[in-house]
Order: sequence, then structure tokens, then C-alpha cells
Amino acid sequence: MTEVLTNSALQLVLLLLVAPLLSGMIKTLKARLQTRCGPGILQSYRDILKLLRKGMVIPETASWIFSAAPYMVFGTATLVGLMIPMTTTRAPLSLFGGVLAVVYLLALGRFFLALGGLDTGSSFGGLGSSREMTISAIAEPAMMLAIFTVALGANSTNLSEMARIAVTQSWRFLAPSQMLAFAALFIVLIAETGRIPVDNPATHLELTMIHEAMILEYSGPYLALIEWASSIKQLVLMTLLVNTFFPFGLSSDWTVRTVGLGLVFYLAKLLLLACLVVLVETTNAKLRLFRVPELLMVAFILGALALISTFLF
Amino acid sequence: MPFAPNPELGNRIITLMAALVLVLQIAAVGQRRIVSSIRIFAVQSFLLGSIAAVIAYFNQASHIYIAALLTVFLKAGLLPRLLERLVERIGIRREIDPLINVPLSILIAGCLTLLGYVVAESFYHPEETSARAALGHNTLAVAIALFLIGFFTMVNRRKALTQVLGLLSLENGLFLAAISLTYGMPLVVEIGIFFDVLVAVMVLGILVFRIGETFDSMDVSKLRKLRE
Repeated sequence: MTEVLTNSALQLVLLLLVAPLLSGMIKTLKARLQTRCGPGILQSYRDILKLLRKGMVIPETASWIFSAAPYMVFGTATLVGLMIPMTTTRAPLSLFGGVLAVVYLLALGRFFLALGGLDTGSSFGGLGSSREMTISAIAEPAMMLAIFTVALGANSTNLSEMARIAVTQSWRFLAPSQMLAFAALFIVLIAETGRIPVDNPATHLELTMIHEAMILEYSGPYLALIEWASSIKQLVLMTLLVNTFFPFGLSSDWTVRTVGLGLVFYLAKLLLLACLVVLVETTNAKLRLFRVPELLMVAFILGALALISTFLF
Repeated sequence: MPFAPNPELGNRIITLMAALVLVLQIAAVGQRRIVSSIRIFAVQSFLLGSIAAVIAYFNQASHIYIAALLTVFLKAGLLPRLLERLVERIGIRREIDPLINVPLSILIAGCLTLLGYVVAESFYHPEETSARAALGHNTLAVAIALFLIGFFTMVNRRKALTQVLGLLSLENGLFLAAISLTYGMPLVVEIGIFFDVLVAVMVLGILVFRIGETFDSMDVSKLRKLRE
């Protein structure tokens, strides 16, 4: 019992604290790669703290949905984070269908975010919501297909079980199905976290923004919650990617040494993936909005091929 | 035999690289810029050369090394260089406009891959062949998919140069099928094919250049005007 509690506590703390750090890290790395000085790694913490202390402006037209959305988004993101194995193969929570719950809890968060964008009745919010939904309509099936490929290898949709199986066959990622699934999920990661070929996280330019358009009306603590939640979501997706495909160092028992080692490995893997994301972001230009479905279509086909090739190779 | 590398490992590496080749092919279908298509083709050819080299290493068939070297040198080095120079001379950097829109094209490419898998299934008898001969047999599906997608690219594109690229990736599929099925055709045949492709690309290059000069465009549908 204490084991489960410490595991949950550790994971929750990791989730809440590492997520802004990761966002800050990506920003700094990106700035360095573009030979800019950039904000410090800790800037995301400062932003969140500053926003939490500020007052709020709530539009007169907003209903309760506007206030509920930040909590929903934050709640679902954290809940999903607790369902994914981070340093040990056992995730603290395991609800309903495991990986299915992960995908649909994320979808629930996105749904409320889109509602929050629509609720104020401003045109930008609606625009952002409609774009977000367009993208997620294709990104979601691609994500499902890619994750099912992994689940098929483990004969289970439970993420802890998947991680346990993955640890026993650590060179599995060389199989073509795994590689195709990784590629598909990577594109989905880019799309879901609003990174450059799909959305630019650093801009407030009306014509191109997606995520920023939805949260344009939010301010103060609500904005802090949403920003925090989106960095948690990013961490969750990246964890899913590194731990299901490269399960090195995931500890299967509960001792200080193995968990510590697991933590070190986990952070190193995250850093590597962050570097990859930064590289993609810096070397690519943003796609025109109508081209985004094409990119996601590639992800979808890759996911489908991955699923098919598990049966054939 | 002094040293026999583990065919299981070889099989894994080959399958992985074949999957990469397939990913590149699908990426090429979704690609709109001519220069990027050419670069994708170069990387794909390089991977094919590597597959040939791996097969040569694990089967200890030294003549395939020559085929691998030729592939890397000609298809990953010389041909892309030639094509890029051609693009520069004609001065087109504009986007490719396919007949069928890109998402649908990618979907069709996925279906063609599926077809490749279905067709290759009937050739696949792992229990009847030895481990060494079975090396790379599972890449046949990828090879057929490359062939079909290459063909589709040729049909789907309007511009002459991109049709040449389709032809080249179709030829890549043939090469992959040949080395994965027979683990190496006789070298004479390989060299014959290489020079065939080289000459074909040169002739097509001149043709494309002429089309560009005459019509100020590379749209092959404008060739209809020649009837009048």
C-alpha cells in the first residue's frame, strides 16, 4: 500500500515539476540552435507563478463552461499522466481500458478547451477551436493505430503491462512495425503539442495560431492552469513515446537504486526526444493550415502500415 | 566457412531498412517540392545500396558488394546531382501539382502497400527455405509496394521531371525485389540495368529540357498541342 502511495506521490511530483522544465528546456534549446540567447530554462516556472498571482478578466458573455474548462484540462492531463509508466513499469493508476482511457481523457481535455474557446463568443476563440478539432479528428485515429501496434505486441492495452513486456525485449524497436508506429506517434506528438510544422507555439499571429487562439480570452490563474496543463500533456505524450518504444532503464521492482537509475534514464531519454523535437522545429517551416491534414494523413498511413506489418513480418 | 554472421540479425537489419525505404517512398508521394523529392530519392537509393551490402555481407556473396557500390555511387550520388542541375537549368522550383490531391494520394499509396503485402504473401514460405536463403525475403512486399507506388507516381504527376522520379523509384523497387529474391543477380545483369537507367535518365533529362524550352512549362499534357 505504501509502495503504491509513494509511487503515486513521486509520479505526481515529477509530472507537475518536470513538465514546465521540459517546456523551458525546449524553448532554450531552440533559441540556442537559432543562436539567440533565449529565456532561461526556468522561465516556464516563473511564467506560471506570475500568472497565478495575477487577477483575472472574465468576459461578460462567458458562462460556467469558461471557468470549468481550465480545471477540466488540467485535471485530465494530470490523470493521464498518472496512468503512464514513467520511471517504473508500474503506473500508479490503471483505469478502464488503459491506453484507450489515455487517448480519450486527452480528447476530453481537448473538447473542454475547444468549448472554452467557443464560449466567449469571440471570433478568434471559435476559429482556434474549429482548427483544433479539424486537426485532432485525424491525429486521434493515427495515435490509436500507432498505440494499438504496441498493444498488440504486449497482448494488452494496459500501459503497465505493455511496459513490462517491453522491458523484456528491449531491442524490439528495431522491428519495422515499431519504427513505423514511432514515426506515426512522433507526428502526432508534433500536432498535439502544437509544434512548428503544425502550429507555432511562440506566436500570436491571428492567421496561423491554433492553440493560442483558443486560449486568447483566458488570463491570470486560468491561463496559468491551461499553460501548465498543456506542458503536462506534452510531457505525457513524450513519456508515452520514449517509454513504450525505448523502455531502457525502466525499473521493474521498487528499490531506491533501480528507481533512481530509472529516473536518470527517463530524464536522459526525454532530453534526447526534446532535442529531436527542437531539431524538427528549427529545420522546418510552418505548414499552411490546409496542408496540415496531409501531414497527419502520412501519420495515419504510417500507423495503419505499422499495424498491418505486425501481422506480416 | 571461416566466419558465418548470424542471419537472424541480418534479417532484422534488412527488414528495418526496407521499412525505412517504404516510409521514404510514402513521404515522396506526399512531397510537393521537386528538390525535396530528388533528395528523398537519393536517401532511398542510399538505403537500398546499404541493404544490398548487408545481404552481401550475410550471404558472403562478394559480387553484390559491387552492385551495392554502384547503387550508392550512381543512384544516390550521380543521378540526384544530374536531376538537381536540370532543375536549376530549367529554373523551376515551383511546387508539384499532382492530379489527385495529396491526402488521397497518400491513402492510395497506403492501399498499394497493402496490395504489395497481399501479393507477396503467396511467395512467402519460410518453412521451405533455409535461413540464409530466406534472408530479406520479407522485403519482397516492400519491393512490390515500391514498384506499385512508383507506377502510381508516374501516372499521378503532370510534370515530366516528376514522372522521371516515379520511374526511378519504380526501378528501385525492381532492384530491391531482385536482391531480396535471388540474393544477387549475376553482376552482368545488374550492370546492364544500371547503365540502362543512367542512359534513360540522361535521355529523359534532355527530353524534359526540350519540353521546358518549347512550352515554357513541363506539363506533359501540353504535348497534345503537337498534334496540330
